[in-house]
Amino acid sequence: MHGELELSEETRDRMAELRALSDRAEAGDKQARRKLRLMVRASSAEVVGRASDVGRRAGRVLARSAAGGDPLAEEALCAKLDRMRAEIAGEDPTPLEVLLTERVVSLWMLTTLLEVLLASQYRRDAGGGLKRLSPPYLIQQSRILESATRRYFAAIRELARVRRLQGERRSG
Amino acid sequence: MTLERRDGRPYYYRSVRDGDKVRKVYIGAGEKARISHEEDVLRTTGRKARLEREKKDLERLEALAAPVLEVSEAAEILARAHLVAAGYHNHKGEYRRARRA
Repeated sequence: MHGELELSEETRDRMAELRALSDRAEAGDKQARRKLRLMVRASSAEVVGRASDVGRRAGRVLARSAAGGDPLAEEALCAKLDRMRAEIAGEDPTPLEVLLTERVVSLWMLTTLLEVLLASQYRRDAGGGLKRLSPPYLIQQSRILESATRRYFAAIRELARVRRLQGERRSG
Repeated sequence: MTLERRDGRPYYYRSVRDGDKVRKVYIGAGEKARISHEEDVLRTTGRKARLEREKKDLERLEALAAPVLEVSEAAEILARAHLVAAGYHNHKGEYRRARRA
C-alpha cells in the first residue's frame, strides 16, 4: 500500500494510547481521564488532521477506481465527494467533525464502489458472459461490502451522536 | 485423472471422490480417451486460472478498502477519546455524562 494512504506509525501509536486511556478512564481511573483530557487537548487537532488527510486521499483513490479510467467520471465523483463533505460538515465544523465527515464520505465511496463492482459481476455472470465467478468469491466480496456498509451506517450514527453531545455541552 | 497406455493404446480414467475413498472411473479408450483427457486438462487449467484471478481481485479490493477502514477506526477511537475526556461514559451503547460526586 502507498505510504500516503496509511496512518504513520506515530499516529498509530497515539491511537493505541488514546484507546488505552479511554478504556481506563471509562473504568473509573480518574488519573487516566486527566491524562486523556491533556492528550486530547494537546495532540488531537494534529492527529485528527492527519487522519482526515489519509481519508481524503483514500476517497480520491476509490473515485479513480470507480471511474475505471474515465477522467470525466473521476472528476465528477471527486466533485460529488467535495459536495458531500461541505453538506455533511456544515459551517465551521470542529476538527473532530471534519474527521467524522471524512469517514462518512470515504465509506460512502467505498460502499458505492463495492456495490457497483458486485452488481456488474452478477450481470456478467447471469448473462453467461466471459467468466463465471465462483460462489466463494462472490460470498467474500459480499462480506467486504457488508462490513463497509455496516461501518458506513455506524459512521453516520457516530457523527450525529458527537454533534448532539457537543451541542449539549455548549448549551449546558 | 490418468491417461494410461497399454500396448500403445490410450485408456483414460477419472478420479472420483466417493466419501472418504477415491475411485478410478473408466472413461474410454483410443481417441475418446485422448479427447476426454485434453478436455479435463483444459477445464482444470481454466479453473486454476480463474481462482488465481479471483484471489488477485479480492486482494486488490481489500487493499482499496484498507485505508478507509483504518481511517474509520481512527475516527472511532478519536471520537470516543473526545467524549470520554469530556466526561461522558458509554452506557449500553449510549454516551451519558458522568454524574459529578
